[in-house]
Amino acid sequence: MVPKIGVYICHCGENIAGAVNIEEVRAYAEKLPGVVVARNYLFMCSDPGQELIRQDIKDGLVDRVVVAACTPRTHEPIFRKALESAGLNKYLLEMANIRDQDSWPHWHDKEGATAKAKRLIASAVAKAAYLEPLEDRYVEVTPASLVIGGGVAGMFAALDLANMGYKVYLVEKNPSIGGNMAKLDKTFPTNDCSACILTPIMVQVGTHPNIELLTYSEVESVEGTFGNFKVKVRKKQTYIDWDKCTGCGDCVNACPAKVPNEFNEGMDYRKAIYIEFPQAVPKRAVVDIAHCLNCAKRTIGTKPRVHSKTGEPILAPCEKACKTGACDRSREYNPEGEILEINVGTIIVATGYRVMDKAPFKEYSPQSPNVITAMQLERILSATGPTGGQLKRPSDGEKPQTIAFISCVGSRDKRFHTYCSKVCCMYMLKEARLIKEKYPHLNIYIFFIDVRTGGKDFEEYYNYCRDLGVKVLRGRVGAVDELPGDRLRVRAYDVDLGAPVELEADLVVLATAIEPAPGLEELGRKLGITCGNEGFFKELHTKLYPVETSVKGIYIAGCAQGPKDIPESVSQARAASSAAAVPLTAGKVVVEPLISEVNQRKCTGCGTCVQLCPYSAINLVEDKDRRRAKIDEALCAGCGACAAACPSGVITLHGFTNAQIHAQIKALAC
Amino acid sequence: MRAEYEPKIIAFLCNWCSYAGADLAGSLRFQYPPNVTIIRVPCSGRVAPIFALKAIFAGADGVLVGG
Repeated sequence: MVPKIGVYICHCGENIAGAVNIEEVRAYAEKLPGVVVARNYLFMCSDPGQELIRQDIKDGLVDRVVVAACTPRTHEPIFRKALESAGLNKYLLEMANIRDQDSWPHWHDKEGATAKAKRLIASAVAKAAYLEPLEDRYVEVTPASLVIGGGVAGMFAALDLANMGYKVYLVEKNPSIGGNMAKLDKTFPTNDCSACILTPIMVQVGTHPNIELLTYSEVESVEGTFGNFKVKVRKKQTYIDWDKCTGCGDCVNACPAKVPNEFNEGMDYRKAIYIEFPQAVPKRAVVDIAHCLNCAKRTIGTKPRVHSKTGEPILAPCEKACKTGACDRSREYNPEGEILEINVGTIIVATGYRVMDKAPFKEYSPQSPNVITAMQLERILSATGPTGGQLKRPSDGEKPQTIAFISCVGSRDKRFHTYCSKVCCMYMLKEARLIKEKYPHLNIYIFFIDVRTGGKDFEEYYNYCRDLGVKVLRGRVGAVDELPGDRLRVRAYDVDLGAPVELEADLVVLATAIEPAPGLEELGRKLGITCGNEGFFKELHTKLYPVETSVKGIYIAGCAQGPKDIPESVSQARAASSAAAVPLTAGKVVVEPLISEVNQRKCTGCGTCVQLCPYSAINLVEDKDRRRAKIDEALCAGCGACAAACPSGVITLHGFTNAQIHAQIKALAC
Repeated sequence: MRAEYEPKIIAFLCNWCSYAGADLAGSLRFQYPPNVTIIRVPCSGRVAPIFALKAIFAGADGVLVGG
């Protein structure tokens, strides 16, 4: 039967029509072999556009459809539905990507873009002639979800899914959940105490019957596909028996080793055996083995020496202090920890961010202890911080009289990050306000490039701070110099004055940029999801699919996707949990039938494909007196490696057959 | 070689990475010459060596496999 191909060319408003001569392309398409009709429309994906396709199918005019529009990665499902609703098998569709891969990147070469559109359509038409009807497959979904990252976004995502009745595994790399928000003192724009709103949520997460907390753990590998992911999680070695540990802290008090405290941004010391912070969930001790002094020569896994006089075993102070036997250095712990294998249907990635260190900003005298990051100030202001909430400068513990804030440190700066970190304007104002409300006589200056307070109640917050007497200067700070007496001189250019200004301060606070969390790219590689050029995870579509990723069943939330404040992170987390719950609720998901099939009659049983298959989906089975390859449909991911390698050419990858690709090559090369 | 010589390049790009990358290049409006046309494949593993040969024999000047 001769195929009747219809070509439907989308203008995408001006997006395609602005670079591609649509009428010229349409006239060309109409003359291509097999094409019975070629139409164009302003927005082919809109209802009137889809109706053009549906009507032609219903009229019996076409039985193969080529849509020349944007990328099939977002719009193929939409047009497949149109075919289906008109009664045509939805796999009889082929798309020509004449926007993302033509008009947009060749915008200034109209002729070139038009010529390329013709070739892309010719290629799609050539393939369409060889399309075959296929039937969807369905697979059961594992009714569980994995949330990676236990900050505020990850916790809300986990709680929502758990409250819907699904099993949730929450993986957090630190010993406790809580994330960066646990370090904050108060949160804008309402000045809620961070601990008061966060710690009850941490408790809920920690005690929820449907949530399995896997803290001090990291994702090792991810296999499988949408609906059935197999995830290996490495539980890092804590060197403490968490089943016995009560979090009393006696071992911590006994430990003599001092290590810069990450939770307090390196402004004080923790012990080598430590509980991450007093409100930690789970409240359990961890041994930082790299800094452990192995007191009393008690290396992990060795028997204690015996006291020559008393005959008692000589124990390390931590062991001696532990009343429950959780700290037992005689045990042979595996330094690699333990690998857990979990099966989940969907995954939410909420790995958060880190703030930049001050060290790269040489012009701001980072060597001075009185030049601190805003996160360090946050810890100073916090009641759980190194000063117990007292405003003291690091050099001498004196209360600073003049404080200068510098904005956009590392953000909106070509040397570091071109993006705006979004939260700095507001958190500087918040920190200034907290200080000013407590100590009205202090002088506070904030140097902004621009004040960006877009957000509900943000502008009012800014005005309130100005009314309190926080002084706002517009202009970039060029340098911070150290002066005698632990003083600092801030040199800036005041744009409003049109003149250089100098200011002496006791404390300088740098609003350093929000950066992708360390290891984000590596995690992305394990999951198969992409990072944007700024290093954060990329959503599938900024507006339509903001929590979805290019991998079905994997969703993103919070600052892993880009800088955002707490309300936005929580909103996105709850959106992600709802998106991740959809397939769990449906119970089964459609798997495209674009998988490989062996022509068993012709298979010689050589086994080449068996070794090549990355999904172990092919086995050799005895059939009569011969061995033949057999593909497990549930495991086949449709990569086509087998089809490419089969020496007999008897493996077909549906949707990407040899005939289809050869036709495309011929159309493009000539 | 003539000054106006423009090679005809056929690129076989994996749907999940480089094809997505080509989409991203477009959405970021990165400009590149239009003499490369893309064939979408589910994985670069799908690209049999014969595809590259067929492309050259059929008249292409270059083949790019991205995955």
